[in-house]
Amino acid sequence: MEPTFDIPDSTDWLETPLTLLAPFESFLRCQVCKDFFDNPVITSCSHTFCSLCIRRCLSTEGKCPACRSSDQELKLRRNWAVQELVEGFKNARPSILQLAKKASTGGDAGAAVASEEPALKKRKIEPNGNEVATDGPAEDGIRTRSRSRGVARQAPAAPIEIMDDVEDDEYIPEDGLVPCPICGRRMKEEAVFRHLDTCTGVAETSKPAAFGSLASGSRRPLPVPTGKPPERLPAINYSLLKDTMLRKKLKDLGIPNWGPRPLLQRRHTEWMNLWNANCDSRTPKPKRELLRELDIWERAQGGSSVTLTDTTSSVMNKDFNTGEWSANYDTDFKALIANARKRNDAAVRSTIPNASQDGSNASQNTQSIGQSSEATTSAQAVNEEGSTNIQNIVVNRTEVQAVTESPQALNEISAAVKLPSNIVTETAVQTTSSAHSDASIDLRNGPSSEAEVQRYLNDGNS
Amino acid sequence: MSTMTQNRLFREYKTLSTSPPDGITAGPVSEDDMFHWEALIQGPEGTPYEGGIFAAELKFPKDYPLSPPTMKFVGGGVWHPNVYPNGTVCISILHPPGDDPNHYEHASERWSPIQSVEKILISVMSMLAEPNDESPANVEAAKMWRERRPEYERKVREEVRKGLGL
Repeated sequence: MEPTFDIPDSTDWLETPLTLLAPFESFLRCQVCKDFFDNPVITSCSHTFCSLCIRRCLSTEGKCPACRSSDQELKLRRNWAVQELVEGFKNARPSILQLAKKASTGGDAGAAVASEEPALKKRKIEPNGNEVATDGPAEDGIRTRSRSRGVARQAPAAPIEIMDDVEDDEYIPEDGLVPCPICGRRMKEEAVFRHLDTCTGVAETSKPAAFGSLASGSRRPLPVPTGKPPERLPAINYSLLKDTMLRKKLKDLGIPNWGPRPLLQRRHTEWMNLWNANCDSRTPKPKRELLRELDIWERAQGGSSVTLTDTTSSVMNKDFNTGEWSANYDTDFKALIANARKRNDAAVRSTIPNASQDGSNASQNTQSIGQSSEATTSAQAVNEEGSTNIQNIVVNRTEVQAVTESPQALNEISAAVKLPSNIVTETAVQTTSSAHSDASIDLRNGPSSEAEVQRYLNDGNS
Repeated sequence: MSTMTQNRLFREYKTLSTSPPDGITAGPVSEDDMFHWEALIQGPEGTPYEGGIFAAELKFPKDYPLSPPTMKFVGGGVWHPNVYPNGTVCISILHPPGDDPNHYEHASERWSPIQSVEKILISVMSMLAEPNDESPANVEAAKMWRERRPEYERKVREEVRKGLGL
């Protein structure tokens, strides 16, 4: 999700005649993330924040960010009213804004909008009708029906009346129906009382199609059974847990359990916040989605360097779980293997002596050989340069084949080349765009995404 | 978190560029890196800093807004009791509540996630006008401000002129 400069915010209203909507909109935004409230909850001190934002604040400081009184996560309560306000406003926002912007450009545009926009949206302008009206030529188009009723009408305004007839609270169509006082839906008078018992207050059913589709678009379909809500995770007193217990805990939760102790704690806290905030949602996200969010958090935390060393050490670990690793990266491995095979087949039978020349020769060779066994070449090149003295990295073609077939063997190879890995990497980058060496680097990092692997492969191919 | 942090920084940037407070400009140095901003602050009127334009850089932590950014005047620093000789600004709004090395700040004045770049810059502007000499970052400047005010003001004015290339 790349941030763009189009992100809507309350200052959007400042360019329109409806400047008073700017403070209004900022009241519907969380003071921590400045976005619209997402699963708003209220604290014991009666401040409202997004569930996730306040949970993050409380888990770092234990205080309300607004008034700094102490509070506990457990005391947070959902704030449905605010949620509905936000949802309602978010749905209406684009059209109000559009209308307001056109109103400020004035002239025919205003009239055009008025005839395009459904009546419901026009009514929202009404409280600010004065401002709009003073804005020059646009007034005739923007002026709402109730205002223009007593005024001599102009031709362009005519369509408005037609639109208004579709639905308008003030204008009562003679269909014998009455509107529900909560959701505004029109129904027979005797049906209203029965309807009131079940009315949710959401007027979606009576909205024009565009509104309805917007509303449903902002909600994700529920992949998890809606029957019982997910259970909240309790906070842990980390000081009571030994490292192994904490790791086990993380493993049981299904989140990564590698890394140093402080990272484990922070990861658990973040997971707990994500999870519990999700519990506050009316439409909880699936766990997979939360795991992805945790991953994003993880990357933002230490940057990639931390992840890199940690993954490396986890591969080097004595109790490293090869089965799980191969299972996790199965597709990546398969792609790499397939790619390596393709190369191997295309390759002229290259031998080590071919590659055993000086550095620049090695690079030329590599290219001319048709890029076979490049891991060999670069490892060999390192050897030849005399910067390292690792006699045991004699990787011949068959071994490369073995490597490509067994992730474990590849790990061993990367272990073997670990010492001069920076050199290997450098050489590889300088001399060739080697799929093999890239692959080994990639594995040590842990292929982070399919796209990345694909990129490596593409680089190799080009 | 990173998405949230970046979005929030983008929003603050947008707010600051659409409706900037008087005498303040701020934004990321490059739009590729939202975590590194530069800011220009006008010296407040009626103070020896009047007429000066002070450039500063702001660096945001990865967990912003949970933690505050750091702020440092660039290009020679600023002669002020609350600015370290290297330019780093030392005011309470930039300090997280948990950590009060000087034991003089009220928690209510310190950083909270609901603060913003705008509030920081406004605080720095008022800091320029009214130094807090309780726990000076620049002891020399604080002493001069307390004991030899005319000399302090002269020195500041000189630096302002120098800063403007006069």
